[in-house]
Amino acid sequence: MSSSTAEVQEDARQRFEALALPHLGQLYRLAVKLKGGAQDAEDLVQETYIRALRAFATLRDPARIRPWLCQILSRLVLDQHRAAPREVAVGDLAEVDRFSLYDLVEQEDPFPYSDSLHRDFLAQFGDGEVRRALLSLPEVYRVPLVLLYVEDLSYRELAELLGCPVGTIMSRLHRARKILERDLWQCAKQRGIVRD
Amino acid sequence: MGPLTCEQAVRQFFAYLDRALAGEPLQDLEAHLEACLDCCDKLGFSRQLDAFCKERLPDSPMPTALETRIREALRRH
Repeated sequence: MSSSTAEVQEDARQRFEALALPHLGQLYRLAVKLKGGAQDAEDLVQETYIRALRAFATLRDPARIRPWLCQILSRLVLDQHRAAPREVAVGDLAEVDRFSLYDLVEQEDPFPYSDSLHRDFLAQFGDGEVRRALLSLPEVYRVPLVLLYVEDLSYRELAELLGCPVGTIMSRLHRARKILERDLWQCAKQRGIVRD
Repeated sequence: MGPLTCEQAVRQFFAYLDRALAGEPLQDLEAHLEACLDCCDKLGFSRQLDAFCKERLPDSPMPTALETRIREALRRH
C-alpha cells in the first residue's frame, strides 16, 4: 500500500469515527434489546462498526449516519439468522394471526372477582418471562418489533431500513404481537395461572 | 367497502396503534370502534400489552471499555 493510500484510509477512518462513535451508546442499547446478552450485543456492535467503516464511502448523507448504522446492525441480525436458522415452531400462520389472548383470558376468567381481569392477568408475569418471550420471537418478527418499540419508526421507514415491502412489515408486526400473546398464554398454562 | 366486521377490525389494531392507518381504512376502523364497545376493550388490551412488553425489553448499561474495543477493531481493518 502506498503512503498516500494509507493516508486516505486513515483520514476516512478518522472521519468515520468522529461521525459514528457518538452513536455507540444508542447502537449498543439497540443491540442488547435485539440479542438479550451483553456479550452478544458487544460482538454485534463491533461487527456493525467494521462493516460500516468498509462501506463508509457509500454513505451519501452524513446526517443519516445513525439510521444507516441501525440498518447495518439490524440486517446483520437477520443475516446471522439466515446463516444459522433456529428451529422455531411458529405453527399455522393463519391460526397465529387470529390468536386472541384477550378472548382466552375472558373465557378462562382466572380472577373471577377482579374488576380489571386482563390487567391482573398481565401482572402475573415477571420481567424475565416477558423478556424470554420477546427473545424467543423469530428474528424476522423480533427485529421490526424492537425497531418499532425503540426507534419509533413508521412502517415506511421500517420497510426501507429492512428492505421489504410495507405490507410485509405490517403483517410481521401483527404476527410478532400474536406470537407474544400465544407465548404468554402458554407460560400462564405452565405456571398454573390458567387451566392447561 | 361496507362496515368492518369485528374480525376485520381486530386485524387492523396494531397498524392503528402504530399510526400506520390513514384515509378510508382509518375512517372505517374508527367508525367500527364508535359502535363496538367489545372491540374498544380489545384495542385497549392490545395497547396495554404493547406497553407492557416494550417496558420489559432487555437493557444494560454500555460497558466503559466498549469504545476502546471498537476503536482498536477499526484500526485493525
